[in-house]
Amino acid sequence: MDVPDYGTVLDALLAIREGVDETLTLRCSCRSHICGSCVMKINHRSALACKTKLQAAQERAGSGHPIVVQPAGNMPVIKDLVVDLEGLWSKVRAVDPYLQPTGPVPEREYIVSNEAMLNVREATACILCGACMSECTVLEVDDRFLGPAPLAKAWRFTEDPRDGADRARLEALSQPGGVWDCTHCFQCVEVCPKDVRPMDRILELRRRAMAEGFTDNNGSRHSQAFVDSIGSTGWLDETRVAMRSTAGLRELRGWVGVGWRSFVRGKVPLRHRPIPGAMHVRAIFQRAAANDPPRQVRRREQ
Amino acid sequence: MAEDYDVLVVGAGLAGMRAALAAQQAGCTVAIVSKVYPVRSHSNAAQGGINAALDEADSWESHAYDTVKGSDYLGDQDAIELLAREAPAAIIELEHMGVVFSRDEQGRLGSRNFGGASHARTYFVGDFTGQALLHVLYEQLVRSGIMTFSEHFVTRLVHDDDGRVSGALGLDMRSGERRMWTAKAVILATGGMGRVYEPSTNALICTGDGMAIAYRAGAPLMDMEMVQFHPTTLKSNGALISESARGEGAYLLNRDGERFMQTTAPHAMELASRDVVSRAEQIEINEGRGVDGCVLLDVRHLGAAKIMERLPQIRALALEFAGADMITDPVPIRPGMHYEMGGIKTDVHGATPLPGLFAAGECACVSVHGANRLGANSLLETVVFGRRAGEAAAAYATERGPVRRSPSLLDDESRLLNLLLARPDGIRPAALRQEMGQTMTVDVGVFRQAETLRAAQAALVEMRERFARVSVGDKGRVFNQALVSVLELDFMLDLALAVVAGALAREESRGAHTRVDFPRRDDAHWMRHTLAFHTPGGPRMETMPVAVTRWQPTERVY
Amino acid sequence: MKTAFYPGCVAKGGAPELYRSVRLVSEPLGITPVELMDAACTGAGVLTERNPLLADAINARTFAMAERSGLPIMTICSTCTGTMLECNLRLQDPAYRGRVNELLAPEGLEYRGTTEIRHLLWILVEEIGLERLGALVRRPLQGLRVAPFYGCYIVRPSNRVSADHPDRDHYLEAVIACLGATAVEYEGARKCCGFPITTMNRTNALRMTGKHVAEAKDQGADVMVTPCPLCHLELDGQQSEASGVLGRPLGLPVLHLPQLLGLALGFSAEQLGLRSHLVHVGDLVGK
Repeated sequence: MDVPDYGTVLDALLAIREGVDETLTLRCSCRSHICGSCVMKINHRSALACKTKLQAAQERAGSGHPIVVQPAGNMPVIKDLVVDLEGLWSKVRAVDPYLQPTGPVPEREYIVSNEAMLNVREATACILCGACMSECTVLEVDDRFLGPAPLAKAWRFTEDPRDGADRARLEALSQPGGVWDCTHCFQCVEVCPKDVRPMDRILELRRRAMAEGFTDNNGSRHSQAFVDSIGSTGWLDETRVAMRSTAGLRELRGWVGVGWRSFVRGKVPLRHRPIPGAMHVRAIFQRAAANDPPRQVRRREQ
Repeated sequence: MAEDYDVLVVGAGLAGMRAALAAQQAGCTVAIVSKVYPVRSHSNAAQGGINAALDEADSWESHAYDTVKGSDYLGDQDAIELLAREAPAAIIELEHMGVVFSRDEQGRLGSRNFGGASHARTYFVGDFTGQALLHVLYEQLVRSGIMTFSEHFVTRLVHDDDGRVSGALGLDMRSGERRMWTAKAVILATGGMGRVYEPSTNALICTGDGMAIAYRAGAPLMDMEMVQFHPTTLKSNGALISESARGEGAYLLNRDGERFMQTTAPHAMELASRDVVSRAEQIEINEGRGVDGCVLLDVRHLGAAKIMERLPQIRALALEFAGADMITDPVPIRPGMHYEMGGIKTDVHGATPLPGLFAAGECACVSVHGANRLGANSLLETVVFGRRAGEAAAAYATERGPVRRSPSLLDDESRLLNLLLARPDGIRPAALRQEMGQTMTVDVGVFRQAETLRAAQAALVEMRERFARVSVGDKGRVFNQALVSVLELDFMLDLALAVVAGALAREESRGAHTRVDFPRRDDAHWMRHTLAFHTPGGPRMETMPVAVTRWQPTERVY
Repeated sequence: MKTAFYPGCVAKGGAPELYRSVRLVSEPLGITPVELMDAACTGAGVLTERNPLLADAINARTFAMAERSGLPIMTICSTCTGTMLECNLRLQDPAYRGRVNELLAPEGLEYRGTTEIRHLLWILVEEIGLERLGALVRRPLQGLRVAPFYGCYIVRPSNRVSADHPDRDHYLEAVIACLGATAVEYEGARKCCGFPITTMNRTNALRMTGKHVAEAKDQGADVMVTPCPLCHLELDGQQSEASGVLGRPLGLPVLHLPQLLGLALGFSAEQLGLRSHLVHVGDLVGK
């Protein structure tokens, strides 16, 4: 095929479709990574075909090896490179993805700082292409997880000073399938073609949800136990953290087997000794807490 | 399968979604049909911003005047007045819906300069304003619960016995199933027809489906010869470098490093209107002062920080497709087909001459852009006239009695599609499409003349004949894109002929339409719109006068 | 080479065999690990999630200690490595570092931003070199089919982890080959083990664990190796539960990277603590 050196994987696929096999089926439209149609796996990694240079894809595949193109992951295949995106759309719908202002509607625009808008803007760059959904390690095992893009969308509203529904949003996002189901694996950050960093948004949502008091979940308990352990002894008391992270005795029962087998093999330390400088660590905790900058950009300036 | 609605909207870009929301708000049952998911629509690609006279030092009259002047006096001034008057409220509404517009130090909406504007009245979200707006409208669509048929392709309009439009026929792309939607009013909002040209800045979906459907149903296409060539497109793949680059202060340089706009537009320089800048560039290139068929766009003097904050997507595009980092290098650019000012003729309510049929956005011609559209007026047009069309269609639907279904039409359309699928192996549609696109670019480009236009017309007529032997390379039902692309090519050939007919008819130079053989604007004869009516033998041309309210045509100086 | 050795919590807690085997292999490898006895936990991302400034300060404290000794930090945990890299990157901004240093000042510490963080795996390939490593092998692991499991933090985000070393996501395969064994290719090598959500959504964690182990087994792996003790806690510690969730027997032994090294360098299973794993480790070197 004759594809120019600036050519993309999309150019190559279109050349194939137009010149070799007209049945080759793939979604594509803008050719300039703004419409989000052409997400697929290229050399086993989710990407926009229009943003992937053919040369780079060839380098990654290794010379002499074909560039491998597959439909996006975690979604049922309809035909060739076209997958069923209904999961993505339904999860976007599930986060109430629209501004919910409270209070009187101003005659003119809401007065908010440019910094606040720039902050939100980073996530509004999301084009809902689904690359993150395709690569998400949690969605691979559980399609009830909301997933990176919908959660980044939710973040965008909780950060928007014009939105008045953050508490309700954060409460909903603290439920199973929400922010605490993310494994922190960076796959979404890695493949996002728009640098939205969905995982970072999810982690911020966790922080905000805890700050708003939505802590009756294992995620919050784990986070608190973890932080407490470092704060008091300088390092991690795994056993205590594990025990404090669970919801109660019933859940703890599920851990008895592992606990016992680990104990037998000498893997459960009997004593957790603080590090020598634990008091210094504690002091840093206190000073950092006092120094934690208030959320400057969030609140609407009255 | 068949569905009944008060209002059916075809197209889910900004105009379509805004229209649907307006119609629903007016109490109608509404459905949207789109050949892609709403957020994939080409409204995404508008980078620079959206115009409105919001600033106290600005006025809607000034915005309207700039638009009239930009249109080279071909825009209908009653429509332009409405556009400019309703712009501020439209921006505020978008802001209230959640658009993250850039702000000034006081936290108010911040604006930037744009071509052809006498005031900094372009409101923006970085350099992805269109995407930001499209996604916010989509959010509103989700909230509204409006029925959305994504990845459904509309093939034709349905008429009542009395000639009123009463729905549409189409195809569920995913299942291959034929569908019919019955509606008391239909709004076409299918966007542009950029793929008639090759290359074009337009997305691959911009095949003018709505224009062609309306044209075949009897609605006239207006001013189709007015095709905008954007001054800054990349040579490699035709990708667009937004006008916001020039809005932020970019220079255009020729081979000798001269800012050649000095000769053409000594005041506005790079920010003269698009037709003026594109012509100046083409002259530099034609007269040997270009660089490899291009001129240079230079933003280096803005500094890395400003480039990164204001033009991040543009820099990424140039890096990717031109191998040039705008922070350190100038980028080679040239004029490229970008926008169709013409379209389905509508009044200021979006109503076409066909009862029951409305249109809004790029597929329509109100006309607010006349012979040349100003940057950042297109997004504005979509929301202002999208809303107006939605309201008007809702009012029409409310007054109209129940619409009779005609299930036999669905069978007829099915038969036609099956015949198309059953054609024996013949010409590949892609080859014919390329040929059409290149003919249009070469012969119906920035500079035009009778001789080459006639040659293009003859070539297109011949291609029309050859189209009868085009075959569909995929015989399956599920996601048959080959079938869709043949249907699109069919539409585009009609539109290409309409563009050439308009270009031949208009024997003057105005705005984007430059006739080498008629180099002057001819106000005495051509303060008129061209109208193309579909006939089996090709377009039949008529003209009608431009609406002038307060600005008499004068010489255009930037 | 001399390094400021940062063992991390798990090596000092639930995986003493890891600590022991690092100590064992250091000598033949020519690494002198000077342990940072007073270093705190990196926070493993959990601390960053709660309060980035706090996480940066706690890690800057460790970096400052290493900086004082003039040694690069050697880690033996993917998660510690990634967390430290992230904090260290933010700490390159002098103004921000100044703010962090104010928090350290009462302890008499100051971080100047010069400490380097290197995982043992990176030291093996980038400092010692595969050629030298190969020469040190006493007992080539001929015929042993090893499934590498990286741990997220040591491969992602790639612009942070491997900007200057684009092959870091293939080091394990290279090391495995260098020790005479065969690296097994399978889908999950660079995915998440499930550990981070083991207390939040145990079923999902176990599904991940089970999936990766099963894939590796299906590709004929005799053993899995990981440079991350948190992954080890999951892949080894939870494997029998994962097998239950998956509904198929698994039983794939999982070694810490230094244990696999140790075997090739001639140490015995007892010395390396191979018997302390929850999944029984059979006779690997006899293969």
